[in-house]
Amino acid sequence: MVLRKDQLELKLKDDEQLIRQGVLRNEHPLDDSPEFHEFIQACRRGDLKHCQELISGGVNINGKDKFDYTPLIIASLCGHYELVQLLLESGALADPDSFERERAVYNALNNKIRNLLLSYDYTKTADPLQAWSSHITSLLSRETPKTTDITLLTASESFHLHKFILSSRSPYFRRKFTEAPETATWKLSNSVPVEAFRVVIRYLYLAELPRDIVGPRSKATEEEVFKGIDRLCKQLEIAHLWEAVLSTTDRRLARQRHQDEVQRARAQVAAYFRDTVLKHKFTVDTRRVGDVKWPRDNAISANCLLRADEYDEEEETTVEPVEEPAISSNGIGIPIGPAAASNSTNGVSNGKRPRRSVLFPVHKAFLIRSPYFATMFSSEFMEAKDTEHLHVIKMDCLPQVLEIILAFLYTENSDCALELALDLLYEADMLLLDKLKTKAAVAISTLGSGTSNALVDRTHGGAAEELQSPPPATSTSTHSNGLTEVDEQPVEVEPINVYDVIHAAWDLKVQRLEDFAARYLASRLEDYIDEEEFAELIQESASRLERREETDTIELLDDIRYYLGERFRFRFEGDGIGEMLNEEGEIDAAQVEGLAAEAEDGEIRPEQPSDGQREPEEEEEEGRSTERDGKEGGGGVRTLDGKLVEDEFVSDAVNYQILLDKIDKMLDRLKLDA
Amino acid sequence: MASRTNKIRPIRKPIMNRDQGEFEPCWALLRDAMTDIHLQNAGRLSFEQLYRASYKIVLRKKGALLYERVRDFEQEWFRDHIMPNIAALITKNLINISLLQHPGSSSHERREMGEKFLCGIRDTWTDHNRSMNMIADVLMYLDRVYTLETKQPSLFAVTIGLFRDNVLQSHIGTAADDIEQDFVVFDILCAVVLGLINMERDGDIINRNLVRKITAMLESLYETDDEIENQRLYLTLFEPRYLQASTEFYRKECEKLVQEANCSTWLRHAQRRLNEERERCGTAISIMTTDKIASVVEKELIEAKLDVFLAMEGSGLKPMIDNDRLEDLSILYQLISRVDSTKSALKVILQRRVRELGQEIEKALKNIDFSVAGAAAGDGEDAGEAAEKAKAQPLNPAQQQTAAAIKWVDDVLQLKDKFDRILSDCFCDDLLLQSAITRSFSDFINSFNRSSEYVSLFIDDNLKRGIKTKTEAEVDAVLDKAIVLLRYLSDRDMFERYYQKHLAKRLLHGKSEIHTEKEMVSRMKSEMGNHFTSKFEGMFKDMELSKDLTDNYRDHIANLGDADHTKVDLNINVLTTNNWPPEVMGGGKSKDEGQKTDCFYPPEIKRLQESFYKYYLKDRSGRVLTWVSSAGNADIKCVFPKVPGKETGPLSKERRYELNVSTYGMIVLMVFNDLEDGESLSFDEIQAKTNIPAPELMRTLASLSSVPKCRVLLKEPATKNVKNTDKFSYNAQFVSKAIRIKAPVISSISKVEGDEERKETEKKNDQTRAHVIDAAIVRIMKQRKLLAHTQLVNEVISQLMGRFKPDVPLIKKRIEDLLAREYLERVEGDSSTYRYLA
Repeated sequence: MVLRKDQLELKLKDDEQLIRQGVLRNEHPLDDSPEFHEFIQACRRGDLKHCQELISGGVNINGKDKFDYTPLIIASLCGHYELVQLLLESGALADPDSFERERAVYNALNNKIRNLLLSYDYTKTADPLQAWSSHITSLLSRETPKTTDITLLTASESFHLHKFILSSRSPYFRRKFTEAPETATWKLSNSVPVEAFRVVIRYLYLAELPRDIVGPRSKATEEEVFKGIDRLCKQLEIAHLWEAVLSTTDRRLARQRHQDEVQRARAQVAAYFRDTVLKHKFTVDTRRVGDVKWPRDNAISANCLLRADEYDEEEETTVEPVEEPAISSNGIGIPIGPAAASNSTNGVSNGKRPRRSVLFPVHKAFLIRSPYFATMFSSEFMEAKDTEHLHVIKMDCLPQVLEIILAFLYTENSDCALELALDLLYEADMLLLDKLKTKAAVAISTLGSGTSNALVDRTHGGAAEELQSPPPATSTSTHSNGLTEVDEQPVEVEPINVYDVIHAAWDLKVQRLEDFAARYLASRLEDYIDEEEFAELIQESASRLERREETDTIELLDDIRYYLGERFRFRFEGDGIGEMLNEEGEIDAAQVEGLAAEAEDGEIRPEQPSDGQREPEEEEEEGRSTERDGKEGGGGVRTLDGKLVEDEFVSDAVNYQILLDKIDKMLDRLKLDA
Repeated sequence: MASRTNKIRPIRKPIMNRDQGEFEPCWALLRDAMTDIHLQNAGRLSFEQLYRASYKIVLRKKGALLYERVRDFEQEWFRDHIMPNIAALITKNLINISLLQHPGSSSHERREMGEKFLCGIRDTWTDHNRSMNMIADVLMYLDRVYTLETKQPSLFAVTIGLFRDNVLQSHIGTAADDIEQDFVVFDILCAVVLGLINMERDGDIINRNLVRKITAMLESLYETDDEIENQRLYLTLFEPRYLQASTEFYRKECEKLVQEANCSTWLRHAQRRLNEERERCGTAISIMTTDKIASVVEKELIEAKLDVFLAMEGSGLKPMIDNDRLEDLSILYQLISRVDSTKSALKVILQRRVRELGQEIEKALKNIDFSVAGAAAGDGEDAGEAAEKAKAQPLNPAQQQTAAAIKWVDDVLQLKDKFDRILSDCFCDDLLLQSAITRSFSDFINSFNRSSEYVSLFIDDNLKRGIKTKTEAEVDAVLDKAIVLLRYLSDRDMFERYYQKHLAKRLLHGKSEIHTEKEMVSRMKSEMGNHFTSKFEGMFKDMELSKDLTDNYRDHIANLGDADHTKVDLNINVLTTNNWPPEVMGGGKSKDEGQKTDCFYPPEIKRLQESFYKYYLKDRSGRVLTWVSSAGNADIKCVFPKVPGKETGPLSKERRYELNVSTYGMIVLMVFNDLEDGESLSFDEIQAKTNIPAPELMRTLASLSSVPKCRVLLKEPATKNVKNTDKFSYNAQFVSKAIRIKAPVISSISKVEGDEERKETEKKNDQTRAHVIDAAIVRIMKQRKLLAHTQLVNEVISQLMGRFKPDVPLIKKRIEDLLAREYLERVEGDSSTYRYLA
């Protein structure tokens, strides 16, 4: 249904009034930052790629420009269907009750977009905490595996609940349970109607409150129930319940209230998580883990122990195959530096000292967010049996990684340090936590962003800065503040081992990481191209394709070539030479030859590529550099093979050629066609 | 290269160790665990360890190998541990009984043995299922990653499927050497289950839970490991056999029923079986089969011998209807509507029965002698009042006819009630059946040639009597029914004619209440449309206008101040010729007597008429008023002087009465006014003085001289019938308890026409029809200009459908007539097509 214009105006007035009164949050704040302006412009043009980059760069997708346009409204007004879809999927608010949504619908250029907007319910918009809060709610009705540890009894009904949740949400419960951890059932007062309890419990578990507080068959009157709720609020010290009860009529208000509540609840759970799980984790000698006895009735109501072992060089007697010593026999890197906190034990120099394990007291109610644990606790295996003392479940990861996982399970928090990201990736994959896996992959693949841009092209030195005139249209747009590494810098610490990354990507099927690795390799191919291991990698990539035929390409190599092209071409495009080229049309091949000869002094001549596939591209590259050459005076830039050339563009052309040559040679060596 | 030397790269993590030699230890761990799981020793196994083992295997790209190994392991497990048990279950005896149907064992034995076998299968299945679930839990990562990626069926599906391949499809080996056919275990299983179900159908109690377990097992197994929804073993293997077996069972049962049982038991039996089967699907088989098994029962038990059962003497459909076995009928309806949405079998018999009963009514009418009062009264539920009235005095032929008409209508209505009840109680107001019944009703009603007249008479009777004895609601109900009958009538013009006649009499004699009449007419209007009731409405309008006219005239006279005229009060009804039936308007008489003659009115009346006519013409010049003396009546105040010689009793005083007589009666009495005491007048003399038509006069005199309560004239001789030679004299001795006396108007009793009159009416009707048909033909041709004969006939019939059913010869005749009158002409060369001539 589309509102009429007068209804729309009325809505705007109402909304503004509500926002001014502070009842509603302003979800579309004015944003006059240049990024946002750019975003709006891109939305107007329908530039899907650029928009995608800006969104992943963190631009405010729900902002408003000085003309009160949101990106969604602009995109739907200009009729960019795919863009509207992207915006909606990326979390642009299309709240059915809001003025902005109505405006977008009203403005939509065609019916296709209008229907898309109308079909987009609020629930579909990306609410990062949706999964978390619905898990909490689902605990109310979930029966297998059993995670409840306390039963509240009323005269007619019994509620099976979780001490952890009650404690984190209500200070009253926290005190009670700490005092008497063995409590398993709890009689509720008869003076408060059961409906009131139901409302309170649903509130604590973040469930939607019923519209009619008093059901048709209940014995209590509405007044009694409200009085009961009031009493419980005071007793349990949950101040916000009243808001929730009173806002059930206005959908939008209720939803906003619910969002706030979820946020608040998460903060509470997070705080309580820190207070209990993290505070009570303890380190023991691995050999003595078996002796750890935790009673079931502990003050923090944990019903399971997770164990994570720290790294050790020693050979373990257990059968765990992964517990093998990490011997870096390939001789590529030397284990040093601030990479992982665990490195304190990670060194031969530390000698033989007993291996340590960290135990975390945890709650099944949250663990079962992972299908792995859900299955484990529902099965008939040892872990699911009730015993006097808590089971110790071994996790095959570092304590730090386990902590991240637990933080994610308990609070949906997935901040991850780069050093741990790979471990986290593997562990999340094992636990079948797709969301966390994606997060870990993102953590790795965005390591290029921010101050430590790993993808910066070191061949371009500081001079690149002056070339950054218009914002680049490619994903490497965040380069501007990178470029710290110069050739002169003595030691460069690579943030991550790219071989690990690519193998992890293959093992766990993470496309994003494959792309990242290819880009990473392309950006510093000169370091890797001569390594033995790189050749192995290429070989492996080739063998990944079963029944490979001669004409098939090598995926990794293709990607690398692509990014290599991007790495060097980017600079020409940035300077607008591409357009100039198109105007002039022709490329003088002879000039290229001559220039190259001059530049490289004949040592490694840029031969015309034997491989027909990449010929045109290459010519173009060189052509561009040639053009540029005529205009800029000789600057004296060094190429990869140490020669001095006139300026960067010449060096780019030369470098590109050199790298491609090397790839070809390597392929020859490996007897692979590509 | 310069930069390479001073580069530091993080160490490779051990987790990415790509050592290939890990498979065997992991597999060993898993294999041992699987054995333990099968032996139900899982409690000491660590899920975490096993999962990790399988996870590592998959991560090392050994998923395919693991997949193979697990499958082989299960295969072996079946071979070594399970099949021996199964083989032990299959005894020779079992095979003999279940597959080869060897006789010679009691059903108890058979059941015991079958259930034992099923228990064995069930336990094996439960174990297997449980183990496979646990293994699938452990190998969750394999199923989620490896099998998904390679698009193979999940390991769980494969291992569960092994049960099918290894147990159900395994051949019966050594236990059955002497059997030539090649049986698999599933055959035995199926035979045992079917055997049990048949036992239950025969009344034994079986372990339904067990059977349900077995069918549930078949439901969760599939033909292939791809687990295609419609390829469950239950659907592909078991269900066809089950339906086959059920078909046979019910076919036999039905044949037995045909020979042994009657229709009523058959109905109940079939219903019970349907319920049983439905229930069985819920508790022992599978809900998926509910509809299919129901259709088997329907087909074999209901449809197969439906006709035989319906035609059964003494319990078939006919007796059911006659004896109002409503329960049977409703079961029958439910069953039939399951098997045949057109319900043709039921419909045909029902229609035939309606017609038969209708004809019986007609036949009964002929047989009953209405002249004997008791005959009508003894007819049970017959219209009681007609009978009561009949009791009072023997009925004359006209009254007999009326009673017959009422009885006929009553019977028809009763029949209608009966079928309505059946329809609503048993047939759920089924539209198909309703229209079928309606059609048969209208068939038999129209086949009875006096139906139009009878219906009109019935209404007449009720409207007249309604004022006196019945409450409005009752009358209402009766009229509703009358309308229902009206719906069935096809010769509506006939009805219209009769109704007009009857209505005219009622109106003129004030025999009914005007608002009831109007009510009735408005109902007809809504039922048959405007044109049908326009004449009736005209009549009402005439009556109203006349009332005003009378009032105005009275005022007019009063204003004249002529005291002399006040003695005779005039109440006048001016009738429009078109709206009123010709009989009332005296049209009928004028034909008989050649020239319309008026009777001689007494001078007082004459003066009055002239005065009114004058008044009438003041506003409406050029109109002609004809006095219809046969339709009027008059109040006469008469004074009977004291009878000399009587000192006591009513005769001793002077008596004043108000006599209400017909107009003719008034004229006759006025003649006697001039007569001396003791004188008498002969019939001929009276006729000469009054010029009243002889039959009318006869009737008038009869009413004044023979009915005891108003015998103001004495007749000589004192017989009942009036003859030309009779002499009449003034009855000075007349005495009556009431002051107001109404002389019965013999001619106004509603009555059935005699055969003569009937023919007359029909003839007139046919004439009217001819005109109507002419009009229709001209209308059609004017519009179409050119039309073929058959088309024209069809159009005419469809146009006139609402009024009557025109017969084709008549239409033909009318066309001929119109051709002759040159309204139409034949098209040259095509003699069957007509052209309209403007």
